[in-house]
Amino acid sequence: MALIKARLLACTAVAAGLLSWGTAAAQAEICGRKGGDLVFGMEAKLSTLDQHVNAANATRNVAMNIFETLMTRDENMAPVLDLAESLDVSDDGKTYTFKLRPGVKFHNGKPLTSADVAGSFARYKRVGIDRSALDAVDRWETPDDATFRIILKEPRATFLESISASTVPIVIVPADQSNAEPTQLKPIGTGPFELVEFVADSHVKVKRFDGYVPNKTLKGISGFAGQKEACLDTVTFRTLAEPGARTAALETGEVQIVEDVPTLSRERLTKNKDIKVVQLDYAGLNLTYPNLSQAPTDNLKVRQAILASLNMEDIMDAASDGAFSLNPSFQFPGQTYYSEAGSELYNQNNPEKAKALLKEAGYKGEKVVLLTTRDIPRAYTTALVMSEQMKAAGINAELLVLDWPTALGMSVNENKGWNFFFTTWITVTAQGGAQSLRNLADPSNVHKPVGNKSDEEFMKQFNILSSSPDLEKRKEAFAKAQARVFDQVMAIPFGAIPKIQATRANVEGYVPFFNTRVSNVWLKQ
Amino acid sequence: MLAYALRRIAQAVPILFLVSLISFGIMQLVPGDPAAMLAGPNATPAELAQLRQNLGLDRSFLVQLGIFYSNLFHGDLGHSLILGQPVLETVIERSPISISLAIYSLVLTVLFGISIGMVAAMRHNRILDQVAMVIALLGVSVPNFWLGLVMIVLFSVQLGWLPTGGYVPFTEDPIAWLRSATMPAISMALMQIGLLARLTRSTMLEILGQDYIRTARAKGLRETTIIVRHAMSNVLMPIVTVIGMILSVLLSGSVIVETIFAVPGIGALLGNAILARDYPMIQGGLLFVASALLLLNIAVDLVYAWLDPRVRLQ
Repeated sequence: MALIKARLLACTAVAAGLLSWGTAAAQAEICGRKGGDLVFGMEAKLSTLDQHVNAANATRNVAMNIFETLMTRDENMAPVLDLAESLDVSDDGKTYTFKLRPGVKFHNGKPLTSADVAGSFARYKRVGIDRSALDAVDRWETPDDATFRIILKEPRATFLESISASTVPIVIVPADQSNAEPTQLKPIGTGPFELVEFVADSHVKVKRFDGYVPNKTLKGISGFAGQKEACLDTVTFRTLAEPGARTAALETGEVQIVEDVPTLSRERLTKNKDIKVVQLDYAGLNLTYPNLSQAPTDNLKVRQAILASLNMEDIMDAASDGAFSLNPSFQFPGQTYYSEAGSELYNQNNPEKAKALLKEAGYKGEKVVLLTTRDIPRAYTTALVMSEQMKAAGINAELLVLDWPTALGMSVNENKGWNFFFTTWITVTAQGGAQSLRNLADPSNVHKPVGNKSDEEFMKQFNILSSSPDLEKRKEAFAKAQARVFDQVMAIPFGAIPKIQATRANVEGYVPFFNTRVSNVWLKQ
Repeated sequence: MLAYALRRIAQAVPILFLVSLISFGIMQLVPGDPAAMLAGPNATPAELAQLRQNLGLDRSFLVQLGIFYSNLFHGDLGHSLILGQPVLETVIERSPISISLAIYSLVLTVLFGISIGMVAAMRHNRILDQVAMVIALLGVSVPNFWLGLVMIVLFSVQLGWLPTGGYVPFTEDPIAWLRSATMPAISMALMQIGLLARLTRSTMLEILGQDYIRTARAKGLRETTIIVRHAMSNVLMPIVTVIGMILSVLLSGSVIVETIFAVPGIGALLGNAILARDYPMIQGGLLFVASALLLLNIAVDLVYAWLDPRVRLQ
C-alpha cells in the first residue's frame, strides 16, 4: 500500500533529521574510541531477560541492547524497519511482506532466517504479554529464508505500530527457542551486545558482539533503531536500588552512568565537574484513573467535580520535587498525536465549581477512596496532595495505602473498594496515540466501566484512531477521544515527569531515551 | 549425646512441615497478584487470565498445595515465577553470600560485643563502663540503613577506601571480598554488638557477685585468673545461646542492608520475591531458611549440652 510505504519513508526522514541530537557521533566514525568497560547503575532490580514475558523497564533497559526486532521505533517513536530491510504492503492492506537484512547473525553464530522470525512470532503469540498486538493476524508464511510474510484477517492501519511497540517488544530469537516456556528464553539475540553473565537482582554483564551487522539505513542511532555500534568492550548493568548509594557510586567513579537521579541530588551533581547531568524532559505521564463501577465515582458529575477541584501545579510540584512540566494531553509535545483538546478541563483549580457540581450530583459525603502505595513515592505524594485538594472542595477523600503488589492486584482485579488508582504511564505514552488510549478502550478498560464497556463516543473515535489509513483522520480522532476522556473523566493526567540521568564526564555519545542505550557510547581516555 | 542429637533432629521434622504449610497458606491469603506484577497495569483481562493459567495460579488451593508437597517430596522446590530458575538452585547459589556476610558480622559481634561487655563489667560504675554502655546503646539504637548510607558517604565518597556496594565472592578474590563485605557486615553487626555487650556485662556482673568468685578472691587469686578460669565458663552459657540467635538473625539476612549495598543475598532474594508475590520462591526460600536455622539451633543446643551435661538429661 503506497500510503504506508510513504509513511515509513517519511518516518525514516524524520528520524534522520533527529540525528543531530540523537547522537553526537553520527558521522563517518561512530565511536570516538573503541574499548573500555562501562558500569551502568540501575535503579530497578532485574529479574529476567525474557523480553516476551516481562513489561518491566529494567528488563527492557538491558535486553534491548541484546535483542532486535523486525520493526522498532525511532527517536520520535515512529515505526521503522530494524531487522527487515524492506516492507511491501499489498493493495488490499492485508499482506505485509518483509525482506530480512542480509548477513545478520545471532550471538550463537547462526544466520538469521525467516524461520527464526516465524518462531519468535509464534512464541510471542503463545506466551507474550502483549500478544493482542497479533490479534489481527490470520497467519504468517516463510516463502524463503529471507522473506517473512504476514497476512491479516482484515486491514488494520495501526498494525505496524502494534508490532513495533517497545512496551513488550516481539524480539527475534533463534527458531529453536520458539517452544521455550515463559521466563525460560535463552538470551541469544542479534544485537550489538551479547550476554556474558546474568545474576538476578545483582548485575548483567554484556560484551561487544563482533559478528554484529548494523542497520545502515540511518546514520547513527535513532530511538531503538538505526546504525548501532558497540564501542565499549563490556557493559555491566549493576542494580543499585538505593538512590543515595547509586549517586555515591557515580561520584566515586565506580559506575559511569546512573539512572533516576533524585531531583534533590541533581543540583549537587551539576556542580561536580567530573559529572554530566543529562535529562529526558518528557519521560512519563503522572496520572490517575477513576473506578467507574464504584460509588460515588460512578456518578459523572462527581468525577467532574473532582477534576474541577484539582490544582495540577501543586500536585506535580510535590510529586516531583519541582521537576515537572504541565501536560494537558495523553501525549507529549512533539509527538505526532499531541493535542490540547479538552485542556480547558485540565488544571481548573476551581473548588467553587466543584462544590456546585457536587450539589448537582446529589453528593452526600460518600467516601472517595484513593488507592495508592508508598513503594512508589510519586504515586503516594500525588494521592496525598489530591486528597487535600478534594477535601478543600468538600469531598470526603480517604487514602488507602497498600504495598504495590496489593494495590496493583486490587486495581486490576477488583471493581469495588477503590475510587482512584495512581500510576505513571511511561512506555504507554511513548508508543503513540492509539497505544496511549488503549488502556481506556475495550477490552483493556483499566477504569472499570459498568459491564466492562467503555464510553460509546470514545470507542467510536478510538476505532477510527486504530484503523483509519489516513493519519490526519487518526490525529483528529485522537483529539476527539482525548476531549471525551476529559469530559467523562475517564483518566486524569497530572503532568509530565522528566528522566534525570548522570554520567561521568568522560562518557561520550550517551543520549537519554526512554530506555538505556549503550551502543555508540564510548569512554574518553 | 547421640540420643539427644537424634531426638532434637526428630523434633525438627514436624516443625518444618508446619513452616511449609504456614508459608504456603499465608502466601495464598496475602492479597496481590503475581500475574498482574508480571504483566503490569496495562494488560487486558484476557491476557491476565491466560498468564494465570500459564503460571498455574487458576488452580484451587488444595490442588496447588498437593503439587507443592508432591514436588517437595521429590526434592523439587519449584520454579520461580519471576526469575524462571529452579528455587532450590537459586537459594543454594545465594546462600554462600549471606553465610559469608553472617559469619563476618558474627566475628565482629563476638569480638566487640564480648570485649565491650567484659570491660564494662570489670570497670563497673566507672567511666569506662559508662562509655561502653553508651556505645552499646548507640549500636542498638542506630538504624542500619542510616548507618549504611553514612558509611558510604564517609568511607567511599570522602575517603575512597571501600566500594559503595556490590559483592565479590571470597573464593574469587579474598581482598575484594573483604572490601565489599566490610560495610554491610558492620551495618548488620552493630545492633547485635550492642545487645551482646549489654548481655555480657549483666551476666558477668551477676557471676562476679557469686560466692565462689568471692571465695576465689579471698584466696588471693589474681583478677585475670578469676575471670578467665572461674567466671568465663559460666558467662559463656547464656552467651552461646544468644550467639545462636544472633547468627539466625544475621543468616536470615537483612533486606535493607542488602538493598543499600546491592548484595544479592538471601535477604534481598526473599524481599524481592515477597514484593513480586513470587509464591514458589517465597515458599521454597522460607523452607530452606527455616531448615538452615533449625540445623543451627540444633548445633547450638548440642554445644550447650556439651558445655553443660545436665541439659542432655532433661
